[in-house]
Amino acid sequence: MILEDVELRVNPGEAVGILGPNGAGKTTLLRAISKALKPKLGVVLLDGRDIYSMSEKELAREMAVVPQTPSAIPNFTVLEIVLMGRNPFLRRLELEDKRDLAIAREAMELTGTWTLAERSFTELSGGERQKVTIARALAQEPRVLLLDEPTLHLDVSSQIDIMDLVRKLCDQKRLAVLSVFHDFNLAARYCDKIILMNSGRVLSAGRPQDTLTTENLSKTFGVQVSVRRHPVTGLLYAVPLSTSKPSITQVKGDIHVICGGGTGAEVMRRLVESGWRVSTGVLNILDSDFESAEALKVQVISEAPFSSISEEASNENRKSIAKTGVVVVTDFPVGYGNLKNLEAADYALEIGKPTILIKGSMIGERDFTKGEGTAYHERLLAQGATVAENVDEALTLVERYAKQPGTKRIV
Amino acid sequence: MLNETQPAVPSIRNKPSLVVLLVALIAVLILSLSIGPIQIAPREVVDLLFKLLLGSSSASEPTALILFQIRLPRVLAGAVVGASLSSAGVAFQGIFRNSMADPYVIGVSSGAALGAALSIVLGAGFGVPGLGDIPLLAFLGALLTVSIVYNVARVGSRVPATALLLSGIAFSIFLSAVVALLEIFAGTELHTLVFWLMGGFSYVEWRDVFVVGALASVSIVVIYLYARDLNIFQLGEEEAQHLGVETEKTKKILIVAGSLATASAVSVSGIIGFVGLIIPHITRLVVGPDHRILIPASMLAGAIFMMLCDALGRTVLAPLDLPVGIVTALSGGPFFIYLLRKKKGAYEM
Repeated sequence: MILEDVELRVNPGEAVGILGPNGAGKTTLLRAISKALKPKLGVVLLDGRDIYSMSEKELAREMAVVPQTPSAIPNFTVLEIVLMGRNPFLRRLELEDKRDLAIAREAMELTGTWTLAERSFTELSGGERQKVTIARALAQEPRVLLLDEPTLHLDVSSQIDIMDLVRKLCDQKRLAVLSVFHDFNLAARYCDKIILMNSGRVLSAGRPQDTLTTENLSKTFGVQVSVRRHPVTGLLYAVPLSTSKPSITQVKGDIHVICGGGTGAEVMRRLVESGWRVSTGVLNILDSDFESAEALKVQVISEAPFSSISEEASNENRKSIAKTGVVVVTDFPVGYGNLKNLEAADYALEIGKPTILIKGSMIGERDFTKGEGTAYHERLLAQGATVAENVDEALTLVERYAKQPGTKRIV
Repeated sequence: MLNETQPAVPSIRNKPSLVVLLVALIAVLILSLSIGPIQIAPREVVDLLFKLLLGSSSASEPTALILFQIRLPRVLAGAVVGASLSSAGVAFQGIFRNSMADPYVIGVSSGAALGAALSIVLGAGFGVPGLGDIPLLAFLGALLTVSIVYNVARVGSRVPATALLLSGIAFSIFLSAVVALLEIFAGTELHTLVFWLMGGFSYVEWRDVFVVGALASVSIVVIYLYARDLNIFQLGEEEAQHLGVETEKTKKILIVAGSLATASAVSVSGIIGFVGLIIPHITRLVVGPDHRILIPASMLAGAIFMMLCDALGRTVLAPLDLPVGIVTALSGGPFFIYLLRKKKGAYEM
């Protein structure tokens, strides 16, 4: 594994995350920084001092490393293992004293492992071992903490526990934290800076919101992702989409989806994954379905945020419908602003396009136009729209259409 | 169980076992001294020893002569050799993180055998002057072999443990073949060579005891200085390094100390197997893996065991002197199997 042109800086009180696919060089980078591997070219500085000018003990007083899989040695108790973290401070024949014990205890209480003190290390579960290893690292009273995929073996609550703890220590004790992650959502949540790596090079570095973009993640991991900000936590999260993208020759046909308010995401995704060429419209730019469409590389006819659908957009929509094979209308909330979308569905039926209405929630519940939406809806039914109870049924109907294209009503 | 108050600072566990071992050592020492063709009552042994220590011994008395000129050097040599081999065994098992390692694993025994063989066959056999000093040549042969094995395995300033083991095995096989070749040309000296190789204390002199004693003491002290490092080393070299252990330096020092202790032991007693491998194991099962107690305990246990085996070898087929190496293997093996079955759980990872 060769690393090239890697430059990075971690400040006290800062948590930096390294992300990348397998073989990207993340662990190699971490090991070069921890002095386990010697760089042929380049230097690692701790407070301006070259780590190779420091003895192992000196370095261990400043920097602690939590490995991916902690080694287990039989018959040592948890407390004895954590006390090994005091080694950098003890002279050759010196024994651990009360102060060492107090520091070890504090580290163990912080990681919730004090109750395990007398247990044999090998008896512990993977998650418990990981916490004990972190306690041992903390017992070194480091200013720099390096972690290699620290939550790899932990269940969800332990993952949160550990990362909350690391974050707290980073803030309170002004530790400089550098951690390799396999989970980009965890990294996005806890890190101040992210470094994306691939094939030994840094692809992107910066704040999570700047580096974790759809484009960067696709380039780094080779997977289509959708990056969103979670509405409740406000945190960035990325969701991988299917890696198998159908080639153009496999396109089954064209489908136009009329949606909005998040009702279209699933339909569009599944249609794309099944090999359909999808278009959609009209969607306001801030609509979550708009973001989904962009992520799925679906052609979107858009309208400015908070604006009603203009004549222009509506015309474009009609053009798209004219070119398509099937129109799918989701159970989107209807307001005066997007009433024209139902009009478009009406137009679709007029020109003979098979139109599927996904029932979902009742029109009454999502009609915010004092009845106009409901009226349109009934008209659509009267004109011959096919009703699907849900997305699954809609997709089945679409597939049936694929077998007998050209029909107006799908049976 | 822990309660609200802190547990006592976990000083080294099982310290009382050292006291027990020390008492046992003295008891076995006295017992060994009293056993032989001429039985000397233990009380008389103690009496004579005190007189020796206080300087008021009647050295010409036949009992005193037997004790001081014949038995004491032999028994002490046994104790020192047992202590050396066990301590070296602990050191090597620690460095290689492999409980199958013994002090001979990097070529000490085959090197010593070659030195002894050359000395016996060329020196005594062919009368080449200066080569007749078997212990000296064995010692030099051992050290030379280890340094060659080490340098072959070295990569720059680092010595990977696996490379060292493989290098040791390769040279051991090769040198054993050379020794076998020399056996063919040994002629009348074959008997001497074979008996030397089997290991024993029959020809030990005071000089040997002092030399081995001095070298062994230095080595064991050095090994003990690295006890905590050895503990942490068990986590693996990379993790140990991150905890402040200078892994390369530690390996080098322990290899030198262990080899020195082993080479000096072997030069005097021949190649006594089993002790360096099994005593550390047995001790570990009893006192635990902390090297800060494992090293002194193994040292004492090794001394005790060797003295007992030698005493047994002297008496079982009296007046025949059974080579100690045979006794150690025959007696130690079954005992270890028994312990292993009793404490199988200790080997669960």
